[in-house]
Order: sequence, then structure tokens, then C-alpha cells
Amino acid sequence: MPSSFFDRESTVAPAGYNRFLVPPAALAVHLSIGQAYAFSTFNLPLTKLIGMTHSAPADWKLTDVGWTFSIAIVLLGLSAAVFGRWVERVGPRLSMFAAALCFGGGFIVSAVGIHFHQIWIVYLGYGVLGGCGLGIGYISPVSTLIKWFPDRPGMATGMAIMGFGGGALIAAPLSLLLMEHFKTPTSTGVLETFVTMGVIYFMFMMIGVISVRVPASDWKPAGWSASEKPKPLVTDANVTVDMAWRTRQFWLLWGVLCMNVTAGIGVLGQASPMIQEIFAGRVTPAAAAGFVGLLSLFNMGGRFFWATTSDYLGRRNTYMVFFLLGILLYSSVPSLGHLGSISLFVAAFVVILSMYGGGFATIPAYLRDMFGTMQVGAIHGRLLTAWSVAGVLGPVLVNYIRQFQIDHGVAKAQAYSITMYIMCGLLLVGFLCNLAMRPVHERYHYRAPTPAK
Amino acid sequence: MKTRFIVLWLAVGIPLAWGVMKTLQNALKLFQ
Repeated sequence: MPSSFFDRESTVAPAGYNRFLVPPAALAVHLSIGQAYAFSTFNLPLTKLIGMTHSAPADWKLTDVGWTFSIAIVLLGLSAAVFGRWVERVGPRLSMFAAALCFGGGFIVSAVGIHFHQIWIVYLGYGVLGGCGLGIGYISPVSTLIKWFPDRPGMATGMAIMGFGGGALIAAPLSLLLMEHFKTPTSTGVLETFVTMGVIYFMFMMIGVISVRVPASDWKPAGWSASEKPKPLVTDANVTVDMAWRTRQFWLLWGVLCMNVTAGIGVLGQASPMIQEIFAGRVTPAAAAGFVGLLSLFNMGGRFFWATTSDYLGRRNTYMVFFLLGILLYSSVPSLGHLGSISLFVAAFVVILSMYGGGFATIPAYLRDMFGTMQVGAIHGRLLTAWSVAGVLGPVLVNYIRQFQIDHGVAKAQAYSITMYIMCGLLLVGFLCNLAMRPVHERYHYRAPTPAK
Repeated sequence: MKTRFIVLWLAVGIPLAWGVMKTLQNALKLFQ
């Protein structure tokens, strides 16, 4: 393979190239890295590596194993922020390859950690190396897709980011299948599963590496012109990443994403015990697992649905819907619990989770509207630090407030009510950030350097 | 180009459809 294969120039599409060949390349990467959402399938097996059927005293504790996912999510945000500009410079092919190496390699390094039973090697492997693969892989196809679909940026990025939600739907049954296949009387099969998944994901991400193409700099969809229908809060100008995060708009969008994600992620992590405790005696653990599966489906579907809808509704209006409908639904959850209506309860949460996914998928197009296409991938990378913060804030809020209430004598079924009202408060903050959004001032716009006379 | 289009979409579509089917099978337990 010649070295020029990875150069941005060698990925420029020839004239007449079908732009719908690009979303599968993005999906190949996002469907792989979306595995992160299903990491919990390894939690229990990793605590029984020595005891096999039970956790032996020398086995890792669940809290030790739990850190692996948290480190990976923090590194996702950090690496997206740090490597965003590099991703923009080298183009999608090399950055997707780097993501494939990091993510696949993370599994292999973790397998070494499992072999020697050293948790720090697992942290280093899946957490740090895999986390960098998550961050670089997440942003690498975004600006390419936005450039291919200037007429439908929401739909294009929605399609890719839907893959991140869909990745968990594949990874959860795949992990269980592989662990069952490799299980022997002397092994839980986790080590072999990690090695196999590392190889599978590396190869699957290579589909994206090989097939991704960027449009020529003067390319436009047939019959489309940028200034055809000027819309409010959609710019034709560009803002560089270093300038973007000095703007008020960047931090307002940071708040919008952080609040939307905090509200959703806290619920997603506690969905199974929550439905079992609110409807005690009526929802079995198996049915609760079904509820979690349903939430994952709507999390995935919402990414495509809401991002595509935002192309028609406008980005700010779409987030207005997320926040207002979210407040309405979260505030109705305690009443639905008292009413004992499982169907309405489930209906409320699937809509909430669709908007959680929708928030992730619509943000790249919102950034493009505010800051232009030039460095949108890098700006997106920096904005993803909001996800890292929300990833810690959401579960902490839900878990600690629930525990605080139970410790103070509140019945388990009622312990979630306050949490839901706090989520409404977070959504209200997000609503206000979104309401305050105005176009970026011209002084931040990028101006190409004038050639010296 | 057409063959490439079909192969690429099948390559990502089949695993995704399998994952969705498995999740739906699990989700049905909620209504049983």
C-alpha cells in the first residue's frame, strides 16, 4: 500500500461520484466505536476471571471494572478536542485509520491485561487507547459528510451518528455470543472475545478507511446553490476552531449539548432498576432488560429522525422541541408512576431517549450553521468535552439523589420523582442557552490572508 | 459504481439489521 493512499489528495472523489457511497464509510466507523455503549456486557465476566462462577477475593471488583468505561468516555471527549485540528488537516482516511488502530488495538492491549490480570493494563488499553479511537473515530467522518451534503447536513450527520447508537445493538449480542463460544471449564472466554472483537472492529473500520472520499473543493450538489434560500442562524462564512471557542455561541452550544446529554444519560444508566422499582412486582428483570433495549432502539432511531427533521425545522427550533417536550415528559413521569401505567411510562421514556440521541446527531449541523464548514470537525471535537462532563454529571445526579432520598426514608418507587424534576431544571438551562443563540459576529469570521503586493 | 453502492450498504446494513432484530426480540419481553 503506497504511503500516498492516506493522503487527503488521494481521497478526492472523481467527477460524477455518487455521494451516497460516503455514509456507509462513516457508518462502518460509527457502528464499530458505538460498541462502547455495550461495554457493560463485560462488567460481570471481568469480575469472575479467577473465580469463574463467582467473584473470588482476588478478582477485580465491579467498581474497578466500571472505571474502564468512564476513562474511555473521558478520553473520547479529550482526544476529540485535542486531535480535532489534526483530523481536519490530514483528512478522513488517515484519521479513520488511526481510530481503527487505537480502537482495535485497545481491545488487544486489554486482552493482555486480562491475561496477566492487571487492571491498569485494561485501563490503558480499552480506556486510554480505545478512548482515543472513540474520539478520533467519532469526529473523523463528520466534516466530510457535511461537505458532501451541504443541502441536508442534518440528515448526513444523523446517518453517521445513528451508527454510534446502533453499534451497541450489535455489540451487546455479539459479545454474549462470543463469550459463550469461547467459554471453557477453565476460562470465561473474555480474553478470547476481546482479541476477536479487536480484530473484527479493526477490519470493519477498514471498510470506512478504504471507501471514504472527500468532495473536490469546488464540488456542489447538482442544482444546489448556497445562497438560494438564506436562513436566519445559518452562515455562509467560516470561523476557525481557535476563534470559535472564544465566541459566546460556542459556549451556549456547549451548554445545550451538556444539558441535553446529562438529562438523558442519567436515565439510560439507571433504566433497568428504575422501571423495576417504580413498578415493583409488575416488571421482571427480563422485562426491564427489554425496556433498556427499547430505549437503545429509540436512542438510535432518534439520531436519524431528529437530525433529518432539523434540516426542515431549523436547528434552534429542533432543540427547542427537545427541551420543551423533554420538560413536559420528565415532569409527567412521577404522575405516570403513581397512575401505574407502564405503557405511558415506556412511551414517555422512548420519546425522551429519541431526543437524547437526536441532540448528539443534530449538534454537528448546528455547528456548521453557526461556524461554517471549514473547521467544523475540529470545533465539534472541542464541543464533545460537554459529553465527557455530562457522562459524569448525569449518572452521579441520578444515583446520588436516589440514594440520598432512600437513606432519608423515601420509598424506592417515589425516589425518582425529585430526580425527574432536577432533570427538568437542567433542560430549562439548556432551553435558555438555546434561546440566547444569535449569529456569530463578523469580527470572528475567517478572512483568507491577502497576498503581499 | 452501482455494485459498490450495494456492497457497501449491505456491509453496514446487515450487521445493523441483525443487532436491531436481536434487540427487538429482547424488547418484546417487556410486553409479555
